[in-house]
Amino acid sequence: MKLVVNGKDVEVEVPADTPLLWVLREEVGLTGTKFGCGKALCGACTVHVDGAPKRSCVTACGTVAGKPITTIEGLANGAELHPVQQAWLEENVPQCGYCQAGQIMTAVVLLKAKPQPTDAEIDDAMSANLCRCGTYPRIRKAVHRAAELLAAGGAK
Amino acid sequence: MTAWSRRGFLHGMLLGGGALTLAACGGGGGQALRISHADQTGALAANLYITVLATGRVALIVNKAEIGQGVSTGYATLVADELGVPIDHVDVHYAGSNSEMRTSANLQLTGGSTSTAEAFVPLRRAAAAAREMLIAAAAAQWKVPASDLVAVDGHVVRGADRLPFGELTKHAAQLGVPDSPRLKTAKEFTLIGKVSRRVDIRPKITGAAVFGIDVQVPNMVNAFAIHGPVFGAKPITVKSDAAKQRPGVIAVVAFDWGVAVVAEKFWQARAAAADVEVTWDAGHVAGLDTQVMQKAMREHTGKGLVSKDDGDAGKAIEHAEVVVSGVYEAPYLAHATLEPQNATASVTGDRCEIWAPSQSPTLAQAYVADALGIGMDDVNVHITLCGGGFGRRSVGDVCAQAAQISRAVKRPVKLIWTRESDMTQAYYRPVYAVKVEGALRSGKVTGARVMSRSQSILLSSKKFLGAALSQLPGAMAGMVGDAALALFSTGSFGDLIASEGMANSPYQFGNFELATELVQTRLPVSFWRSVGNSVTGFVMEGLIDELCVAANQDPFTLRRSILPATGKQARVLDALEKLSGWATPPPHGIARGMARHFAFDTEVAQVAEVELVAGRIKVRRVFCVVDCGVPVNPGIIKSQMEGAIIFGLSAAL
Repeated sequence: MKLVVNGKDVEVEVPADTPLLWVLREEVGLTGTKFGCGKALCGACTVHVDGAPKRSCVTACGTVAGKPITTIEGLANGAELHPVQQAWLEENVPQCGYCQAGQIMTAVVLLKAKPQPTDAEIDDAMSANLCRCGTYPRIRKAVHRAAELLAAGGAK
Repeated sequence: MTAWSRRGFLHGMLLGGGALTLAACGGGGGQALRISHADQTGALAANLYITVLATGRVALIVNKAEIGQGVSTGYATLVADELGVPIDHVDVHYAGSNSEMRTSANLQLTGGSTSTAEAFVPLRRAAAAAREMLIAAAAAQWKVPASDLVAVDGHVVRGADRLPFGELTKHAAQLGVPDSPRLKTAKEFTLIGKVSRRVDIRPKITGAAVFGIDVQVPNMVNAFAIHGPVFGAKPITVKSDAAKQRPGVIAVVAFDWGVAVVAEKFWQARAAAADVEVTWDAGHVAGLDTQVMQKAMREHTGKGLVSKDDGDAGKAIEHAEVVVSGVYEAPYLAHATLEPQNATASVTGDRCEIWAPSQSPTLAQAYVADALGIGMDDVNVHITLCGGGFGRRSVGDVCAQAAQISRAVKRPVKLIWTRESDMTQAYYRPVYAVKVEGALRSGKVTGARVMSRSQSILLSSKKFLGAALSQLPGAMAGMVGDAALALFSTGSFGDLIASEGMANSPYQFGNFELATELVQTRLPVSFWRSVGNSVTGFVMEGLIDELCVAANQDPFTLRRSILPATGKQARVLDALEKLSGWATPPPHGIARGMARHFAFDTEVAQVAEVELVAGRIKVRRVFCVVDCGVPVNPGIIKSQMEGAIIFGLSAAL
């Protein structure tokens, strides 16, 4: 089947019920999207399908064939980081880093819907992305910083 | 990518240098190797850890695992500051198994909050030596005294003259390694003590970071582990005919610990595992459950070993006006690292290569060697980034399982556990049941008695610590190993880990008795973030809190009455009182509590503001003061405390 990942067409030969997570990691070769639980509980596997956040560990790849899929690897524009990534860098967010791809993908969607989110709106949108290292306070700060960067016209 | 080759690294590994101290490489093998390496590459391989390349970049071998605690940045900071390079000139690589790099307890281990303290002087000394060699090379070139020169920004500088390090490395490599290089004084620090950006952020926000679960090696296959319904359950029957017909499946193999479904791709192994039917025996922890454990702990009558006996706690309690007492219990606790357990193994003949998110190359070697019946030296471990460690990754069980699978299928295998396996396959924080008694007379604390029952981490890993200890050089090895293990086994050791945070408490009770009794089960336990302290802090501060209530005293006041008036504890309490605004009563509906603890040479005190919302506890704010000695990167310390507070709250709530 044909998947469209980060703007590129990719042909994959997998059963339609194979979770998108493993197709991305093993067939497309993009390991930035992570396996944390396999049950959509942790959010480490979050990608965008048609601009909406999807937990790829429970998304059958057959259901997203042909639709535009964006992974963490598709956010930056070459060397130029996405403003959300830039904010993550400035606020020293990651500790172990394992959850951060999922956090960033979720934050990108939040900021599209709410360009100036309140703390409560951030909590609502992002509490289901788990971080065992406890970077939540910095994530919140970075979302606010990203909102600033986006309002100012993107990362420099 | 750097121009520093893996071969250069291997070459650098052969140079003398021992632990972290920079042994003199004068004459003989070390110097000759360093010179020949420079002849080939132009680089200065100053010691086992630091190589300055002809490009001016610095390759730093960090002899620890990056588990999110920031050791990469910490060590890069120490080296960059002392060597005199911008921190972004440093490329961090993680040390694999290397017997020359064993440090505390003759292990390569990331744990016990030791990384920064262990390296603060030795790593800077290694960097300072390299700096002095580069300066000496420049001095020779310019024909001026070395004392006229400084190293700044990756250059050796004399007035308007500058030479970049890269132009000096080949010459510097010919020189002797200084025995006692000068270390910068605190006033001269340019990076140490500053909040600077972590060095490992970019790969973690772009998806480029390689964790254990992301490892790819040539000819690799993937394994899905089916573990039993309880820890230690062994497969009795395995029906795998249907699974073996599934596309990509190579083998379905049973072991003592469970069943591995091996396929070209993990998604194929995972799909096929659904077709495997296994019956299990009850395992060697049959009959053990939470209630059985709790009952056993409460009814256990062993008196344990008295490891602290100041004054006469019994008498103080007997003559008290008020006695507070209680039993504090803590359950088995999983680490739940966000990256599930995994390891990649490649067995060829009697050798095994491992790639793993491991906190201890040495323990990984020991577990694998034991599982395969080979020597530890025949196991070579490569360390990846860890998606969380918290102590779980010190255990080599996953590496051993991966190795067994690789041997069975004769191919490199990446083994990935499910989250369910991660939560159920033991090595938890130990259970505790601690009885505390506190005595008050005329409103003053007159004594305390603590009787702690817990499970021993050291005994759980006895077999593997033994393997690691037995690698000590010389005839002493066996004797030392046996003696140490005998101490652990008889329980006469008083298990320092189990009682840490109580045995070393700074409280001056006047009369204090501490006894520890080790209660063993066959469910293995391991280090869990802050180890004994994560429970003993709760116990000790719970006792103090009860004394405050019984004496009707403010928590700061009562603590001050049993702590030295000056020093770390006093300073931290004062700072916390100020930071938290303790003098001002909290708003209606908000309750406040405070606690303090001393562990790993660090004093921490916190105030929590808590409210009840619809019957549930909600923690609104936590104020935290830390005195950890010289901070290398205060920003990372702050991150660590933020994370630790959340980690602790997660466990408590």
